[in-house]
Amino acid sequence: MPILFFLLALLAPLSSAADYKLGERLQPKKPDSARSSTFNQIGWEALVPKGWDPAADFRGINLSRMRDGDPRAILALEKLRQVYDEAPLEPSMSGKPIRLAGFAVPLERQGDEVSEFLLVPYFGACIHSPPPPANQTIHVFLKQPQKGMSTMDAVWVSGTLTLHRAESGLGMAGYRLQAEIVAPYAKLMGKQ
Amino acid sequence: MLLRLGLASAWNRRYTLMLTLLSVALAVTLLLGVERLRHATKAAFAQSISGTDLVIGARSSPVQLVLYAVFRLGEATNNLRWSSYESISQLPMVAWSIPLSLGDSHRGFPVLGTTAAYFTHYRHGAAKSLFLIEGRPFATHFEAVLGAEVAARLGYRLGDRIILSHGAGDFSLGEHADKPFVVVGILSPTGTPVDRTVHVSLASIEAIHLDWVAGAPIPGLTIPPEQVSKFDLQPKTITAVLVGLKNRAAVFRVQRQINEFAAEPLLAVLPGVALDELWQVVGLVEKILLLVSALVVVIGLAGLVAVVLASLNERRRELAILRSVGASLPQILALLLIEGILLTICGALLGFALLSSLGVVFAPMLESRLGLSLALALPNSQEMKLLGMVVLTGAMSSLIPALQAYRLALADGLNPR
Repeated sequence: MPILFFLLALLAPLSSAADYKLGERLQPKKPDSARSSTFNQIGWEALVPKGWDPAADFRGINLSRMRDGDPRAILALEKLRQVYDEAPLEPSMSGKPIRLAGFAVPLERQGDEVSEFLLVPYFGACIHSPPPPANQTIHVFLKQPQKGMSTMDAVWVSGTLTLHRAESGLGMAGYRLQAEIVAPYAKLMGKQ
Repeated sequence: MLLRLGLASAWNRRYTLMLTLLSVALAVTLLLGVERLRHATKAAFAQSISGTDLVIGARSSPVQLVLYAVFRLGEATNNLRWSSYESISQLPMVAWSIPLSLGDSHRGFPVLGTTAAYFTHYRHGAAKSLFLIEGRPFATHFEAVLGAEVAARLGYRLGDRIILSHGAGDFSLGEHADKPFVVVGILSPTGTPVDRTVHVSLASIEAIHLDWVAGAPIPGLTIPPEQVSKFDLQPKTITAVLVGLKNRAAVFRVQRQINEFAAEPLLAVLPGVALDELWQVVGLVEKILLLVSALVVVIGLAGLVAVVLASLNERRRELAILRSVGASLPQILALLLIEGILLTICGALLGFALLSSLGVVFAPMLESRLGLSLALALPNSQEMKLLGMVVLTGAMSSLIPALQAYRLALADGLNPR
């Protein structure tokens, strides 16, 4: 029936629901040699300097033996928060052309197009759960604004990584990425 | 030859065909209209705020906070304390902050109490800042800077005196008639809610409410405007805060810090995330609207098929005569197909023309009431796709009567019945 075809064609672009669970990470995919010739595919762990141990300060503390609202537990959490906020960057990553998958949180839009977004490693990061460490959030600048992006879309981003140094204050440093290509992440392919 | 015959035949049945054409055209107008409004709304919302990392207010829903703080839609559930604003603005990551105080109005236009930071840091569209076409920003009490739409619609010029009303909306709960404001500046048009806002200083908002208690003037007590500076005009509460950060990547950390603010329950939201949340809610309604208008197109096309099918009966002789003088079956098929396709194309074009003229008539009203700009424009790619689908569906449905005519035997048309 031509009519059914018409209705289906009309509704097809509207039904694209992201169905990720809170905290879900994207499955690492085998590097696709054809596409990643200029951009090196990396995982999120490559952004963490080797030897950085956020748990180092918490060795002697057994959180499971504390009650909710125990002042020592609250203090420990606050300290962990601070350790995360000041998470160090991996200097060798500076200037590297990389390809990385993550979830996007748009910052700047013009009409339908997104020109700046933050890339985070797991679904729902920061909106519903504690924010990831400073070295696990990338501020992405798009050369070509991207159409039809919304919060927590899974994407592949390819571009050049730079280190943003803090001019003052703590926890101001972070990764930046000049993105050349932003492509949707196909979930089914990743699961195989 | 075939086309001329077809046109002459159609002219003979012009009244029925005209009505069918009209129904297709109206259906297309509805479909494109829904699509256009959908885009205009999204564009209007997206361009109203830029460069702001967090919107902060009393704890409520993120969507509600952004709606009242940025778009002046709805009302605040609660205010936040001035002391909270001060500690937020002094956080090490915060580059700038703009306090916003809402709640009063001027002839239906919202009044916004703010500071000079508003004119330097507020951005809209592609990081465009506000620009005064006339005058200067407010400096002391009882000076107002008008949005472009306010000035244009109410015909205000620099130096005019205006009186603010208590409460939002067209009906006023009481007037601050004893303390008129002087218009000192007029902003250039932005296509955002700023155009419909009267901007005054935070201290002025405080000053006009000095002799008010619990939302009403205190009987017997009036403080003349020249004496207000003797009072403490530091606001105790404000409605919302816009914040820009030194490093945008730190936004989640600052958001967390503010959401866990110990002194008072606060809510910090990323405007983009809140807007996406809003679109998720509105998305279902959008889909239903689009589906309904698509169904209307289907009904229009079904009417077209019905009319052409019904005409087959009265055209039995016409088609039979055509065949008897040598028209081949494919030619008969083409004749009917062309009729259907031409009707849909004309319907689509007429529908688009109708939409454009409606747009011209209603654009000023939509612009001033809702801040939607419906520019007169050629169909964009998405609308082209919709139009293409309508024509394609029309062509495919015209196959039904065409095949029917194909099957009619020659003898059937020539036999007297």
